[in-house]
Amino acid sequence: MSHLQALQQHMLQAVLADKLPQPRELDNDRRADAARRLAIYRNGYRVRLRDALATEFPGLGTLVGRRFSTLLDSYVEAHPSGHYNIRWHGAGVAAFLEYGLPWRNKPELAEMARLDWAISTSFDAPDEPVLAAADLADVPADAWANLRLSPQSHLQIISTHHNIEAFRRAADRNVKRPRLRRYDKARHLLVWRKSLTVHYRSIEVDEVSALTGAIHGEPFSALCERLCEHHGPAEALPLTASLLHQWLASGLISCRLLN
Amino acid sequence: MAIETTTHQLPYLGYGLGLRAEHYESLLDEPGNVEWLEIVSENYMIPGGRPLVWLEKFRERFPLVMHGVSMSIGSTDSLDDGYLARLSALARRVEPAWISDHLCWTGVQGINLHDLMPLPYTEEALAHVVDRVRRVQDVLGRRILLENVSSYISFADAQLTEWEFLAAVAERADCLILLDINNIHVSAHNHGFSALDYLDGIPASRVQQFHLAGHEHSGQLLIDTHDAPIIDDVWHLYVEAVRRYGRVSTMIERDDHMPPLAELLTELDYARALATPLMRVAA
Repeated sequence: MSHLQALQQHMLQAVLADKLPQPRELDNDRRADAARRLAIYRNGYRVRLRDALATEFPGLGTLVGRRFSTLLDSYVEAHPSGHYNIRWHGAGVAAFLEYGLPWRNKPELAEMARLDWAISTSFDAPDEPVLAAADLADVPADAWANLRLSPQSHLQIISTHHNIEAFRRAADRNVKRPRLRRYDKARHLLVWRKSLTVHYRSIEVDEVSALTGAIHGEPFSALCERLCEHHGPAEALPLTASLLHQWLASGLISCRLLN
Repeated sequence: MAIETTTHQLPYLGYGLGLRAEHYESLLDEPGNVEWLEIVSENYMIPGGRPLVWLEKFRERFPLVMHGVSMSIGSTDSLDDGYLARLSALARRVEPAWISDHLCWTGVQGINLHDLMPLPYTEEALAHVVDRVRRVQDVLGRRILLENVSSYISFADAQLTEWEFLAAVAERADCLILLDINNIHVSAHNHGFSALDYLDGIPASRVQQFHLAGHEHSGQLLIDTHDAPIIDDVWHLYVEAVRRYGRVSTMIERDDHMPPLAELLTELDYARALATPLMRVAA
């Protein structure tokens, strides 16, 4: 190991360490001793990450309240940053809250983090031209059964047992924190970007099934079959058509038709 | 805008600002005296979405330069090929007048400190950085600018002054220098060296760009925060820099406590008013 390599590793450890060390490599002078100087980098690392994460997780901040800084600090201490873009350190927050004590005792936190992160990553996801209703006008009637739709690749479905979207909405609108409610059954939220604006909305279990089928590349007929499981054959076809109309209007479907 | 060429074969751009989201709309509506913009490269090294749409609007209206914070040119980790590939891709999109980053390291062992960590000014570090700058310039197909950083620590085994180190990197790697006037002031205060000695030690032929910014006091030290107006001492140092290096593209960096655009335009006018008479004398 070179001298430079050893010095950088030592400095890294000095910045990350729980307690302020006294590195021998550093100069002292009358203006400030080495520990005081090193503390600027130690504090800066933690403050920068905390601020960047707070920007990415506004819903989580509203949900957690006064303990938000403590939560973020505990994540930063447990997980040093590995990405050159500070914002991407947020990728591990939901998993940390799902598995780490004491946060895992409050499952709404991981759910909230997942919604915040889905919104954040949708913001600058790849641009994909969307399919319009007019683009399907020329599809022959006998081709519909095998038609494969291609949902936008950034689209995400979040499962939750809590009213987490209310906390995100409160954060976005800077209004009073709502009361946390727990659902008996899991509910679902759809996150996607239409043009340049990120949207999220509740999505029922039948639509989750159909959209999941489309994401997996299943043909239109299979999406109808998925809806049959929830509504029966008589209602499935018109419901599929209705969902397709809604998906197209919302910009959920990419121009990449698979057949 | 007519672009004039300097001895470095890169254009002289005049007086510019760092492009920040808070000023997107006002910069397009009333750009005032802004002649060029500096983007933070990493903010646009993304797959898609709104920032790239804004970027395209500014690219149509202003000369742009790219300024990175994550190249980690001084790190003993391997160069990040993925980072350089994305930087190259952005450069193809933006067609910047030049690309810059900092003379520092930002992480090691795969961990990123998201800070501009100073190097020990030793012959070993010099050889290491020179080799990496050459390799980066080969990848990008152009010379890069390296910026002096503000620092709060220095290393007991230093063999060179900071300005000797910066000048030697530029000469040996054949790169250019982005001289941050505020950073010289901050580091001179924090380490007790002469800012004028620093300016005297930098070869004029390598200086392509100036940064101007504000800072804050923290006890006996100064911290480079980019969150306040430029102070008189930094303006005085800017005048000294213009006296030594002549006409150099100059811009103001503001990252926090963001004022209305008009306030930055006033500062930019002040920079222009200070420098223009000196350039006439030099001419």
